[in-house]
Amino acid sequence: MALVLKGVMQSTVTPLKEDFSPDLETFEKLVEFHVRTGATAIAWPHHKAESLNLTIKERKKFAEVAVKVTAGRVPVSIHVSALAVEDTMVLARHAEKIGADAILAITPYFWNPSPEALYDYFVRVGTSVDLPLIAYNSPSYLEGVEITGDLTRRLIERLPNFVAMKEASFDSEKFLEISRVALAMRPTFSMIAGVEFLLPSVPLGGAGSYSSAGAICPNLCTELYESCIAGNWPRARELQYKLAQLWDLFRDQYPSSLKGGMVIMGRPVGPTRPPLPTATRERQDYIHEQLGALGILDSEPHGW
Amino acid sequence: MAAFIPGLVHTPVTPFTQDYAVDFGRYAELVEFHIQHGAEALALPMHVAESVSLSDGERQELLELALKTAKGRVPVIAHVSDSGTGIAADRARAAERAGAAAVVATTPYYWTPPPNMILEHFVEIGSAVRVPFVVLYAPQAMHGTKISTDMVLKLMDRVPNFAGVVDASLDWQSMINIVSNAQRKNPVFQLLSGSDYMISAGVIGATSVLSALSGIAPRLVHKLYDLCKAERYAEARLAQEALAALWQSVKQGGVGGVKAAMSAMGRDCGGVRPPLDQLTQPAIEKLKADIASLPALAGEPRGW
Repeated sequence: MALVLKGVMQSTVTPLKEDFSPDLETFEKLVEFHVRTGATAIAWPHHKAESLNLTIKERKKFAEVAVKVTAGRVPVSIHVSALAVEDTMVLARHAEKIGADAILAITPYFWNPSPEALYDYFVRVGTSVDLPLIAYNSPSYLEGVEITGDLTRRLIERLPNFVAMKEASFDSEKFLEISRVALAMRPTFSMIAGVEFLLPSVPLGGAGSYSSAGAICPNLCTELYESCIAGNWPRARELQYKLAQLWDLFRDQYPSSLKGGMVIMGRPVGPTRPPLPTATRERQDYIHEQLGALGILDSEPHGW
Repeated sequence: MAAFIPGLVHTPVTPFTQDYAVDFGRYAELVEFHIQHGAEALALPMHVAESVSLSDGERQELLELALKTAKGRVPVIAHVSDSGTGIAADRARAAERAGAAAVVATTPYYWTPPPNMILEHFVEIGSAVRVPFVVLYAPQAMHGTKISTDMVLKLMDRVPNFAGVVDASLDWQSMINIVSNAQRKNPVFQLLSGSDYMISAGVIGATSVLSALSGIAPRLVHKLYDLCKAERYAEARLAQEALAALWQSVKQGGVGGVKAAMSAMGRDCGGVRPPLDQLTQPAIEKLKADIASLPALAGEPRGW
């Protein structure tokens, strides 16, 4: 079956017990919740899943659970980026072994690699497995290291399994430079926006988005996507504005506030590992108030 | 105050003679060209018109000439930015006296004042006039100086003629955040696109555009503007991609690139003033070849 990446794909958080150890039972419930409430794919562990605060061993274990629970109902992609590229390679091979549907890799951390080194990196990761590769562009978080239109073109020429881009620049020019190259060369290529920025990206050829708030408001996410696809722009604007308010609420010390909000929605997933803070009781009360004011408590599912 | 919606705003460059003097004769011709080719308003002299390289007297003279040439057929928006708050406010007053329909200003040059002083900067400029005042947000051009939503909301409280923000950040998060919060406070607030990347800005809620490419490809700009105005974004994508391709060709040469492209279209406006570099002959030849290879420009007017 050909891999289809579209709609609002849910990148799940990582549930932890009070002592910060992995909570795999809750993770199973969370993956099930997302699949049941309309996720068009499961993606783990993005930065909101505290990927860089998990050991390689822990990452493998959670990845296995994600694949097992999803059980082929929607595609599962595994984010394999780690500080050391050697660990990335290990995670990529592991994802393939356990039956994941795709891997996701961001530009390397810390080193500010040259354009040539970026090309070599993605070629190395992409040729190490037979899985589809999703590249991840996030220039504002990585000191301007970015995937350009030119790099996209070279990678599409080189890698038949390069099928999608998580494009998280949130920038009209950067998104379009990649999308117009990629979609002309490979019409099935999926441009996937970060967070839920569907309104500005779908008209540029975007296929969907990942999601920041999907564990809080899956109904809102689904309706935004459907409004964009239907070309109902006034409604889509209204929903995107609302999701922007939620993003303002959650982006602070992401994903601490998000995990705090999940407590309010009856889906507690435990604390956030240091160095990120855990949402305090006061912060949770504030989030509670905001979710109430936005109508989320009435329009979205409570509990698992 | 009524909503300020100037629509399709052209931003004419400043023509120079070979000895770098302003070529006023050519300027009158250029202003007429813009009016004949779809401008619903003019904004001048913007950064693409080398505003920062013009003396105060030259700026005023260009404005007066534009007003005289336009003869009320289209409104003229005066760009009054400067380093010093008082200087910019004085320029705004002079522009209003001369007949400018609105005033636009960005954050101060060179200085990086704290947010409260940036707010005061805009309060003083906006309060100097009674015509609509709009703020240009161009962080890439202004060494990253940010304009926050909070600042916009405070400015709305303090300056009744503050009418909107011209976004040149291209940043979806910023655009959505500013327009949604400002319109909740007062629905007449307007977002204007400060670049030719009109689709994302338009779908987010921008109602007008300041187009730097309007002197090169006025028909394509007009087509994209009309489609976005009708919210026919899917049809707009081709025109958007063509304008993006044009922009990528000219942007490397900056203002010199824009002027070289205008020259290639038969509308010579001379070179750029120092300290900007003139485009080298090979760069000019490459730009000409790029332009010739863009089929979307085939229908554009040549000459005056």
